[in-house]
Amino acid sequence: MRRERLAVLGWQLLILLVVLVAWQYLTGIKAISRTPGLYWIDPFFISRPSAIAERFVYLMSPRARLTIWQMALSTVQSTVWGFLVGISTGFVAGLVLGRSDRLARVLEPYIVAFNSLPRIALVPLITMIFGFGLLAKIVLAWSIVFFIVFFNTFQGTRSVDADLIHSARFLGASERQIMTTVIVPSALAWTFASLTPSISFALIGVVVGEFIGGESGGGLGYLIVQSLGTLNAADMMVALVVLGAIGIVMALGIRQVEARLLRWRPEYRKR
Amino acid sequence: MVPPVRVSIRGLSKTFGEGPREVPAVSDVSFDVREGEFVAIVGPSGCGKSTVLNMVGGLVAPSAGEIVVDGQPVRGGPPSTVGYVFQKDTVFPWRTVQDNIALGLEYRGVAPAQRAARVREAVALAGLQGFEEAFPATLSGGMRQRVALMRTLVVDPQILLMDEPFGALDTHTKLNLHAELLGLWQARRQTVIFVTHDLSEAITLADRIVVMTRRPGRVKRLYDVELPRPRDVIAIRESEQYLREYGLIWHALGEEFLAAPGAA
Repeated sequence: MRRERLAVLGWQLLILLVVLVAWQYLTGIKAISRTPGLYWIDPFFISRPSAIAERFVYLMSPRARLTIWQMALSTVQSTVWGFLVGISTGFVAGLVLGRSDRLARVLEPYIVAFNSLPRIALVPLITMIFGFGLLAKIVLAWSIVFFIVFFNTFQGTRSVDADLIHSARFLGASERQIMTTVIVPSALAWTFASLTPSISFALIGVVVGEFIGGESGGGLGYLIVQSLGTLNAADMMVALVVLGAIGIVMALGIRQVEARLLRWRPEYRKR
Repeated sequence: MVPPVRVSIRGLSKTFGEGPREVPAVSDVSFDVREGEFVAIVGPSGCGKSTVLNMVGGLVAPSAGEIVVDGQPVRGGPPSTVGYVFQKDTVFPWRTVQDNIALGLEYRGVAPAQRAARVREAVALAGLQGFEEAFPATLSGGMRQRVALMRTLVVDPQILLMDEPFGALDTHTKLNLHAELLGLWQARRQTVIFVTHDLSEAITLADRIVVMTRRPGRVKRLYDVELPRPRDVIAIRESEQYLREYGLIWHALGEEFLAAPGAA
C-alpha cells in the first residue's frame, strides 16, 4: 500500500518535472528563421519557469509596492469571510424556508430569478455600492455561496424522514426538540456536503471582484488584470500559481472538516 | 382477577383518498387489549394492520370509531405512555448507539449522570457492549433494530406498539430478537400490540392473535395462544400445541391470502 502511494507520488513529480523542463527548453530555442524574437514557443505569451521564479522572488521581497503576500492575504480574507457569511445565512434561510411552505412558495420566483442571474454581471453594481475595498469582494462571494448552501439546506430540510420525526415524538420530544435533534441535524448533513463546492465558488467570486476592484483591497485578481495592462505574463503566472495553491489548501482543509462533521456517513468512513 | 383494559379499539374505520378514488383500508375493527397482554395482529399485506397500529399511536386519524388508551381517547399525537417501534430503520444515523438510546431520556430532561447509567444498562441488556460509540451505518440490520428497541424501552413505556419490527431481518437474527424481546417483556410485562405478517412470529410471541381479513381489513377472528411461558423460541416450534395452533390459524389466514386480489 505504502509502496503504491510512493509510486503514484513519484509519477506525479515526474510529470511536473517534465512539463517544467519542456516549458523552459521550448521557450528558449529560436525558430529556424533568423528573425529576431521568433521562438518555437513564444515566452511573451506564457513566460518561462525561470522568469516566473524571478518575478515570484521579486514580488515576495519588500521592494515590490504590493507584495504577493499582501495580495494573497487579501484574497484569502475576502474568500473566507464571504464563505463564512454565505454558509451561515444560507443555512438559516434554507431552514426557515424549508419549514414554511407558504414563505417558500411566495419567495420562489425571486430566488430562482436572482440565482439564474450570472453573478459576474453584478460585479460593477456591487463595486458601485460597496466600494473598492474588501467588502465588495465579500458580498460577491457571499452572493454565490449563499445560494449553493441555501438550496442544499432547503432540500435537506424538506427531505427529513417523517418516521424519524414520528419516532422522536413517541420518545417524548417537544416541537422544539424535534427541531434541534431531528430537523437541524438532517438538514446539516446536506449543508455540510455543500461546503466543498462553496469554498471554490467563493474564491471564484472574489477573484472576479478583484478584476475590477482596483488597487485598494486588490488581491491576486488585481495582479492578474494589472499584468494584462503591462503585458506581463510572468506576473500573471505567479498569481495563478499562488491562487492554485490557495485553492488546494482551502479545499483540502474543508474536506477534512466535512469528513469530521459527517463521520457517521459510511462514505466518509473509509479514509 | 381480570387485568384492566389498557387499549380499547371501538368500531375503527379508515378510508384513504376522496370521492371516486376513495379506498377503504380498515373497516369496523374492534378489540380490547388488557394490561400486560401481548397481542399480535396478522393478516395479508395491505389489510390495514399497520394502519390500525398507526391510529392507536395517534399518527393517523381514524375516519370513524375511536381508540381509548387508559380511559383517554387518542387524538392528534401519541399518548405519553406509548412507545413505538417502526419496521423501517428509524435509528438516527448521526448519533452513536448510546446517544440514540439516550434520546428519550434527553427529551424528558433526565439528568446526564442518571441518563448514562440507564443507557449503560440498556446497552448491556441488548448485548451491544463495545458498540456504544459506533454509528448506525457500521452496524448490521439486526443490531440497528436492537438499538431502536432499546431506545424505546429505556423510557419505560407501559404500552408498546410494534409494526413488523423484525420484518426485514433474516430468520436467525429474527429468532434471536424474539428471545430477547420475550426476555425483556417477561421482566416488565408491558402491554404490547405487535403487527406482523409472519404467523410463526405471532404464535411464538403473543397471548392473543387478531386475524384480519384482506382489504378493507376487518377482524376475522381472535385466537388465544395457550402456549406456556416462558417460551423457548426454538423448542416451541416443535411442540404439538404450537403445530396445532399454527394449523388452526393458518387455515383462517390462508383463506384471506387466497382470496386476495392479484394473488398468485
